[in-house]
Amino acid sequence: MRRRAAIAVLAGLTIAAQASDQETDALRLADAMPEDVVRASDWRTFAELGLGAARQRRDGSVRHDRRLSLDVRFDHALSGDWRVVFADRLDISDPAQAGSDQAINTVKETYLGWRPAPDALLDFGRINARYGVAMGYNPTDFFRAGALRSIVSIDPASMKENRQGSVMLRSQWLWTGGSLTGLVSPDLERRPHRDGFNLNLGATNPRDRLLLALSQKIGGFNPQILIFREAAAPTRFGLNLTGLLNDATVAHVEWSGGRGPGQLEQALGQSAYGSHGWRNRIATGLTYTTSNKLSLTAEWHYNGSALNDAQWTALRRGPPLPYLGYRLWARDAQELPTQQALFLRAMWQDALIPHLDLTLMHNRDLVDASRRTWLEARYHAERWEYALQWQRNSGSTLSSYGVMPDSRSWQALVRYYFN
Amino acid sequence: MKKLLVFLVAFFAAWSAHAASPQELLVASDAVRNPDHAFGLTNTLVEYRQGKQTESSTLAVYSKADPQGGQFRSLVRYVAPARDAGKLILFNGKDMWFYDPASQASIRLSPQQRLLGQASNGDVVTVNFARDYRAETAVEEETQDGERKPRRCYKLNIVASTPDATYHRIEMWIDVSNSRPVKARFYTKSGKLLKTAYYRRYQKVFGAERPTETVIIDGLEPDWVTVMRYSDWVKREVPETWLQRDYLPRFRPE
Repeated sequence: MRRRAAIAVLAGLTIAAQASDQETDALRLADAMPEDVVRASDWRTFAELGLGAARQRRDGSVRHDRRLSLDVRFDHALSGDWRVVFADRLDISDPAQAGSDQAINTVKETYLGWRPAPDALLDFGRINARYGVAMGYNPTDFFRAGALRSIVSIDPASMKENRQGSVMLRSQWLWTGGSLTGLVSPDLERRPHRDGFNLNLGATNPRDRLLLALSQKIGGFNPQILIFREAAAPTRFGLNLTGLLNDATVAHVEWSGGRGPGQLEQALGQSAYGSHGWRNRIATGLTYTTSNKLSLTAEWHYNGSALNDAQWTALRRGPPLPYLGYRLWARDAQELPTQQALFLRAMWQDALIPHLDLTLMHNRDLVDASRRTWLEARYHAERWEYALQWQRNSGSTLSSYGVMPDSRSWQALVRYYFN
Repeated sequence: MKKLLVFLVAFFAAWSAHAASPQELLVASDAVRNPDHAFGLTNTLVEYRQGKQTESSTLAVYSKADPQGGQFRSLVRYVAPARDAGKLILFNGKDMWFYDPASQASIRLSPQQRLLGQASNGDVVTVNFARDYRAETAVEEETQDGERKPRRCYKLNIVASTPDATYHRIEMWIDVSNSRPVKARFYTKSGKLLKTAYYRRYQKVFGAERPTETVIIDGLEPDWVTVMRYSDWVKREVPETWLQRDYLPRFRPE
């Protein structure tokens, strides 16, 4: 008994000594840490090279893609309370993206900001005004129609980043725990341009629009209420709400609703016909994070303005032109083509080894059961990033994902940050 | 006479220190780490694994204590690495938001979501331990400090007292002579050691000696080390209106 106790004490002392040695080593390491302090830069610039291949659904052939992109963001505080922001992206693709030039320049943002009072802000210029708390579908992102110009990845984060803002005047008034924002975006041009270097105001400013967004923190919730009005269309309303269910889970609800024609009538230019009833759009879900940095998101998407099972089947079986017109309209508007969808996403930071992030994303159309799966492995080291992406679209003929020209594709990316 | 005076001063200093409750010692050590006004600083984090640097980040941190509860709220802006520059994190208790200026996306975070490797959210921002924890006991003992020198300390046994507390239990060593925090060990509910933190490189900041570096050693992998070095301390106003989600897209450091 005494011997056992002595061994236990000795083992305890040995472990304590080892711990102490390791802590001493750690402190020595900290002694050698450089004294340099990095200063903030107004610039963020990177170049990205992409090589990919896609198997064509039509004939099984393989298309090879190459792309070079240059992305610049400049955010500078001028003297006093003025600020200037510029964000631009140039994508040179070979072959060219469908229906576009080989070189597409996207002016994402260019605006001048002024703070007339500590709690009041005014911005004027091309602004990427983005709203919504959901990940895969944003019913309250009222300025998303026509915003996408060059799609280099179907990752929602990439689509939110690589888009053009609308020209507008934005004002915001802030108070403790809340704010009121007002946006006025004028009609500047009616038709989008195909020229890759055109400012493309016809895509982002085709009609007069107004938006009011009111936020107020209430307990553990952060509700945001939106009112959106565009020329020749009824008022639409929106709500964004998030809540913490426990230390690992965030729940979110995003809703928009209003009277108006269905998407098919809008796509075919028949808005005067059909029912103008109340239509809801919803994206709701949960994000759960494990202690080892794995985040799991599940979302349900509903679009009451889109086609139900019977309408969708009828459109797919009908003549090709209305189908094509509807699909192109839904793509430009970033809307669901059918009424219900499921979105799943798993992201594991520092997976298996440090600096390696793995992402799995799955979209499923709950009306026609077509699906899309996307996988990405991304490794970052200092100024470099390396990524490998794989995507698969499957489903029956003319279904949401079954109609995609690529049945399977992969893409390798190398990115370098200049500053 | 002089000897008697020195003895009396030493006696009363020791007596008054002994008279302080464990919780008062914790409050005093919080006051050493944290200024009593709003401020900004630069936090340079360097992560080492097996003796080699594997990651480095630079953060601009703006902190202000809540006039109600006294806990700090912070706005953290990435300065480096380049791929993260400009991203923001708002820490307001459990109300945490991440904002990326490139995608204009504000994402609500759960407390479990860690964005900076080994360093937890509570490590990165200013925390008043006495607000969320209760120090139960204080025992005097000698320990090795961050400069690898022996130091006479009170070892406090601290337990979580509010739902906002990140850790279940903490052991903290506080210098008996000046209430400076020397080191702390953080434990899970099951008693597992999560990490050890050394508070060191004491320098004069805002009129008092404060630690300007924290060395964090992982509990399971002791060769996984994160050094957080604080610089560019500046007393500055942090308006209440900054500390909300809707301000993040408009934030521009002066």
